[in-house]
Amino acid sequence: MPYPDLPKDFPDRYRSVWVDIDPALYDPAVGHRVYNEYIDQLEYAASVGFDGVGINEHHSNAYGLMPSPNLIASTLARSTSDAAIVVLGDSVALYNPPIRVAEEMAMLDGISGGRLVAGFPVGSPMDTVFAYGTNPATLRERYHEGMELIQQAWTRDDVFAFNGRYNKLRYVNCWPRPVQKPHPPIWIPGGGSVDTWDYCAENDLVYCYLSYFGYKAGLATMQGFWNKMDELGKPRNPFQGAFAQFVGVADSEKEAYELYREPAEYFFNSCLHVYAGFADPPGYKTPNTVRSGVEGMVERAAREATARSEAKAEAKAAPKAPRPAASQAMPFETMVEKGYVIIGSPDQVIEKLTEVGTSMNVGHLLTLAHFGNMDNELVRHNTELLARKVLPEVQPLFEHEWEDKWWPKPLPTAQRAEPAR
Amino acid sequence: MSAVSTAFTARQLPFRGGTVKVVEAGEGPVVGYLHGMVGLPSGELPPLLAELAADHRVIAPSLPGFTGSSYLDELRVLFDWVVALSELVDVCGMVGAPVVASSVGAMLALELAAVRPEAFSHLVVLAPMGLWDGDDPVADAFGTTMTEQRAMLTADPAATARFFDDDPAVTDPAERIELGVSRYLTRTSAASLVWPIPEHGFDQRAHLVRNAVSLVWGTADRLVPPSYSDRFAALLPNVAGRYRVNEAGHLVDWDRPIEVAAIVRTALG
Repeated sequence: MPYPDLPKDFPDRYRSVWVDIDPALYDPAVGHRVYNEYIDQLEYAASVGFDGVGINEHHSNAYGLMPSPNLIASTLARSTSDAAIVVLGDSVALYNPPIRVAEEMAMLDGISGGRLVAGFPVGSPMDTVFAYGTNPATLRERYHEGMELIQQAWTRDDVFAFNGRYNKLRYVNCWPRPVQKPHPPIWIPGGGSVDTWDYCAENDLVYCYLSYFGYKAGLATMQGFWNKMDELGKPRNPFQGAFAQFVGVADSEKEAYELYREPAEYFFNSCLHVYAGFADPPGYKTPNTVRSGVEGMVERAAREATARSEAKAEAKAAPKAPRPAASQAMPFETMVEKGYVIIGSPDQVIEKLTEVGTSMNVGHLLTLAHFGNMDNELVRHNTELLARKVLPEVQPLFEHEWEDKWWPKPLPTAQRAEPAR
Repeated sequence: MSAVSTAFTARQLPFRGGTVKVVEAGEGPVVGYLHGMVGLPSGELPPLLAELAADHRVIAPSLPGFTGSSYLDELRVLFDWVVALSELVDVCGMVGAPVVASSVGAMLALELAAVRPEAFSHLVVLAPMGLWDGDDPVADAFGTTMTEQRAMLTADPAATARFFDDDPAVTDPAERIELGVSRYLTRTSAASLVWPIPEHGFDQRAHLVRNAVSLVWGTADRLVPPSYSDRFAALLPNVAGRYRVNEAGHLVDWDRPIEVAAIVRTALG
């Protein structure tokens, strides 16, 4: 849910889209319009055949206008009837106490009749340690303690005391209870931390790689997760993996280039303009991740934004010298070539998404049909083409070989309440 | 006097299931040292101790998590750190001695003195953290790039080369990685002490610090403005002296070790 009206020269005039972005850039009238458009778009996706609709949490961020995904999820739980409500998710360590997450998600599962996917990210450094002031050295411990509390609150049938290091609750009693038993499926969004692979693999949770940089760059990260599964002797069930991919469908490849250039350039050149000083606060990574040398996607985004800014400054200082390539905004052709964005005719997109699924071994594909400043009409066009012409060919990819144990199990239709209109 | 002593011993002492590194050097009256944000350099004395060891017995523990000492994830809040420091001054044999303490180390030393005055005889604090004025805020040392942080810590960025730069003598890739991890944990520990705002309510306890305290600040401190010397002086009941060091940044002992050593000798008589 990006803010769509950042100035064209935003990367030149401001240091970051996240954390300390100028409050004066936010126009509440624009906010009002796009919140309603974005909710309409999600409802539309559910109505034309998407298996689920996804939302996430960000703070002080112009490319993610959703500090509270649960608020959006609650409207979707009422206005949709069959699609999964995929909350990706609630940043557990930021809720005090995290029992609030257990309660709100149980509400969402209740309102939707058991259609909730419960996502629990550690959260980006910008959201967690800068915008919300959490000590990076204790963030992951808080997160794991919160996860323990939430799962106990959903599954235990007694009123119990929880004596954590950060959460001391004399009476834990989650009313309401989730519809799904033992609890809604849990997905863990990650951005490249080795420890998140381990956590998902060891606890049979979905590892959900929310990459900005497409399937080609994401391959190594997903492979790291599957290697961990191999190490533990666990099956490579593709439904235990999820991956996010920007997608733009058109009637032809030529038209796709015309339609999706501007929104993609807006996203990659303005929405990912993150100040490097916010990307790697000490303590956010575990020693294992530092040792592995794996670069998180936020770090990468910040590094690339810094390289562009530095090269621009260099070019400005020496105007007669040839402009280095890095000083240019990233061209759309490069984004397509590198796989950040998959675009094309329906057949071309089917081919690419099939490659994404099989090469990464992911059974849950999060297709981002909206990105950057894409206008409402184009989002609906893209969503419809995806739903009608692409997804039917891609959805069955692993269905016959593997069981999806991480998909919601809602109440039978006959038992579900029909919202009064 | 500006004779430099480079001979030292570095021991690993058992501490809470791990170890702490304790560096000792020189002969003479004992002076403790509590490092600032970059810990103790590996393989050599911190520049200030190289000066002071000429006529003192200096004892310098590396705080838990900082270079050479085990990272203890049980240290989560300020209270944990103060109790750990109280234990540490006993373990390394500097209890009751005067202490020179820098930055986050100075913040901890003052906090410990408030609740255990006998821990130190006299405190020479170099740009302590621990107070906050919203109209004149302490800068954010960790919401920055490494280059900016380095420029924020010392007036001469080369002064902290022993911490920020890879040691060219270390060529083994695995060892280089572990040194990188150690540097990361040092920064983690320093950040943990001051995140997100380096203020833990010391203004409510400052009156308990009965020890003599000497305040030292670099005039070019970009992290904790030199005006904070006035704020500490207004709260502490027994300020023995106040000193400014020209052209020195936040880690004044890394920027101007000779001048700071002279101040310490003056302050301690």
